Amino acid sequence: MAVRPSERPSAPAIELAGVSKTYPGTSAPAVDDLTLAIEPGTITTLLGPSGCGKTTTLRLIAGFERPDAGSIELAGVTVAGPGAWVAPERRGIGMVFQEHALFPHLDVSRNVGFNLRGRERDRRVAEVLDVVGLSGFARRMPHELSGGQQQRVALARALAHEPVVVLFDEPFSSLDADLRVHMRAEMRRILTGTGTTAVFVSHDQSDALAISDRIVVMREGRIEQQGSPREIYQFPHTRFVADFVGRTNLLTGRIGADASSIDTDLGAIACRHTHDLPPGTPVVVSVRADSLELDAEGPVRGRIKETTYTGRSIDAVVEVELAEGRTADLMVHAHPEQVVECGDEVRFRVLPDFVAVIADGDASAAACRACPPAEPTR
Amino acid sequence: MTRTTRPIAGLWARAWRGQPPDRWLLLVASLVAVVMAAPVVYVVWRSAFAGAERWARLLDDRIPGLLWSTLSLATVVTAVALAIGVAAAWLVARTDLPGRRMWRWLLALPLAVPPYVGAMTYVVVFGPRGWVREWLGASPVDVYTFGGVAFVLAAFTYPYVFLVAGAALSRSGRAHEEAARTLGLGPLAVLARVTLPLLRPAMGAGGLLVALYVLSDFGVVALLRYTTFTSAIYYQMGGFDTLSATVLSTVLIALTLIILAAEAAGRRRARYHTTSAPRPFEPVELGRWRSVALGFLGVVFGLSVLLPVSVLVYWSGVGLAEGVLDARFLGFALNTGMVAGAAALACMAAALPVVYLRSRHPSAASVALERLAYAGYALPGVIVALGLIFFGVRYLPWVYGGAGMLVIAYVVRFLPQAMQSAGASLAQVSPRVDEAARMAGLAPLAVIARVIAPLTAPGVLAGGALVFVSAIKELPATLLLRPSGFDTLAIRVWVEASESLYHLAAPAALVIVAFSVLPLKWMLDRYEEA
Repeated sequence: MAVRPSERPSAPAIELAGVSKTYPGTSAPAVDDLTLAIEPGTITTLLGPSGCGKTTTLRLIAGFERPDAGSIELAGVTVAGPGAWVAPERRGIGMVFQEHALFPHLDVSRNVGFNLRGRERDRRVAEVLDVVGLSGFARRMPHELSGGQQQRVALARALAHEPVVVLFDEPFSSLDADLRVHMRAEMRRILTGTGTTAVFVSHDQSDALAISDRIVVMREGRIEQQGSPREIYQFPHTRFVADFVGRTNLLTGRIGADASSIDTDLGAIACRHTHDLPPGTPVVVSVRADSLELDAEGPVRGRIKETTYTGRSIDAVVEVELAEGRTADLMVHAHPEQVVECGDEVRFRVLPDFVAVIADGDASAAACRACPPAEPTR
Repeated sequence: MTRTTRPIAGLWARAWRGQPPDRWLLLVASLVAVVMAAPVVYVVWRSAFAGAERWARLLDDRIPGLLWSTLSLATVVTAVALAIGVAAAWLVARTDLPGRRMWRWLLALPLAVPPYVGAMTYVVVFGPRGWVREWLGASPVDVYTFGGVAFVLAAFTYPYVFLVAGAALSRSGRAHEEAARTLGLGPLAVLARVTLPLLRPAMGAGGLLVALYVLSDFGVVALLRYTTFTSAIYYQMGGFDTLSATVLSTVLIALTLIILAAEAAGRRRARYHTTSAPRPFEPVELGRWRSVALGFLGVVFGLSVLLPVSVLVYWSGVGLAEGVLDARFLGFALNTGMVAGAAALACMAAALPVVYLRSRHPSAASVALERLAYAGYALPGVIVALGLIFFGVRYLPWVYGGAGMLVIAYVVRFLPQAMQSAGASLAQVSPRVDEAARMAGLAPLAVIARVIAPLTAPGVLAGGALVFVSAIKELPATLLLRPSGFDTLAIRVWVEASESLYHLAAPAALVIVAFSVLPLKWMLDRYEEA
């Protein structure tokens, strides 16, 4: 195999530099000048709506697609690029497919040991089956397994070859809700336990937030924002990220005189994420529903318009009166034990933790251009 | 329904899983099933009266040899058809072969050439007085041998495998093959260790169609003077030893059932599920093998389409020059269209009740009725004809000896084609539609007539078209059952080809081939969806 885990210890596990890919017969690129580095031993999720290029990126890394431009390195070895091409089977990659793609004509141990040779084979199969908690299932056929078990077998098969990186193509989308939550935790435990570098593709923000060390939000073939799950959720840099990862309220305002608050129609809101813009700059801020807390003493007053009880919380739409008789509808999360009815007058306050200035807000084009680029933070 | 009959009504309802059918519907469907199964059942029944001595003599003298000649032929033809069909399907579905869409069409075309027509053209080219001998002075191949028969049969039956395997390949998506790539297998190893094993159910289904065809074929083996069960049965009947014919038929029926059961068992063991959605993929690059692949497909197409069609066109030209297209020829065509058209209409009328009962009133009884209706389909035409002769002489003397007998034979042989087509259409109509019609005040039969029939009309019509074409091509039952002096196109092809009067046979054969091309597009689409 061309690529081994220890090829160049200091190199990123995966490095994409200026990678572009346009499918024949289409005009818009599926992946557009993408540059991305993934550190060894981390779990990264490529997150975005369908058509954002996340799956194409994954298939480019796997070698099922050839980039039109740019280069891809795995553990310091160039596997795709000008004059360089390493076939998928020689890249040292493991992959877990959307529908698992277990070989239906082989039992569990043969699936896991597929293309392993020699005396090592049985030992390795037993080892990875133990890691995924399926030691007693070696003789079962794939169709005799539950969805979660099939997924573990798919992971065991990918791990058996000691890959440089394991790729996951929407692995949770075929599981039902309960199993999904369970398998997310289980996968994370196994992957961190084995120190595996993993790249997930997902369109589901809750999967991405739960499993990742790092999230790369993609849109139209480009990276929209990358960062830890907390950064992505608390401080979305763009309107797209704010909307796609959880729902949010967008308000216009100006950076306050102290440079750590925003003057809005709701009053001054404390904000820890202002991109160091100078006071007075017109901006758009994202205020997560979680940072609006019902509080009888709160400064903002509104009337409940709509409520949805979800069990974990109450999602309420509150109509707030602004200056000059205008109103705005805000999404507010209430604790589920609170009793709220439509038409209730409520008061609430804004917590600073989930308030972020949006870089591409349309409050003023000039202000946006002044924004510092979204620097990757850890 | 009165209260006193409740216990019986309760049992009745339970047998139909709470959905007992309208009794007229049940009656019509049962009648159809009985007519379909009667000839075959009657053949088996009559064989019981053949006497122990006749059975013993045939089992000792005839049957072992026939078993060997028939089974060895079926095995070799199936193996060759599998090799050609799977290789061609893989090349078309998975590689960067130029003109893949066109090849999908071209390679299915041999289905439009009835194998006995194909056999005739091979005699013209490779026969003792054939073109090759004329050109070269000696023919390197002899079609009147086991190899010749097997080759001709394989050349015109491999499309069954090609279509079934091609549909399986294009449906199954690429996830398994990509998974194997990530596990370190190169393209060829993926083909051997993943693609082909996953194709096993499709290969079983396609191989079954080929094997069943070989068991039932009469025209090719008879023209090329090879003896299998079908030709032996035919010649026994010609010698008026009909009881011996029933014995041989019973053995052949048993053989057919064994093959059907074996394939079904194999499929149950290997039930593969592939659900991943197909997405655009990078085809396997053939590289320098491209010309080899193109050459292979070219040879297959040349031998199974170009050669027979060229021969037919050449001899048709000779025939036309001699004024073959006269009033007699028109009469043959008219006869053919009449009986085939009547059979198509009868099948369209009979198919819907049976499939409706099966779809909307599932029960052991409706499944059994449907199976019965398939009896004549899987079995050779000579057996259907034999059964109909017995049955007709005894119970339908006013029909026997008339063209109506041919129509009945075609219905028995080809109704399942109309049933499959109507059933596929009916599956698209939700049972909620029936319920809505009932709520609007229609009686069960009125629902079928006024709602279901119009909705399934495209499928029923397509089924009728298939039956029409199959009936045009049908040879063995037509030979055995036609009224004296009643000639169809297929009969003319057969008679003139037997006399080596190819300029008389070719025009009729060309008409048959031209009609057979028509339903091909529809068949290809169906394999695509299946």
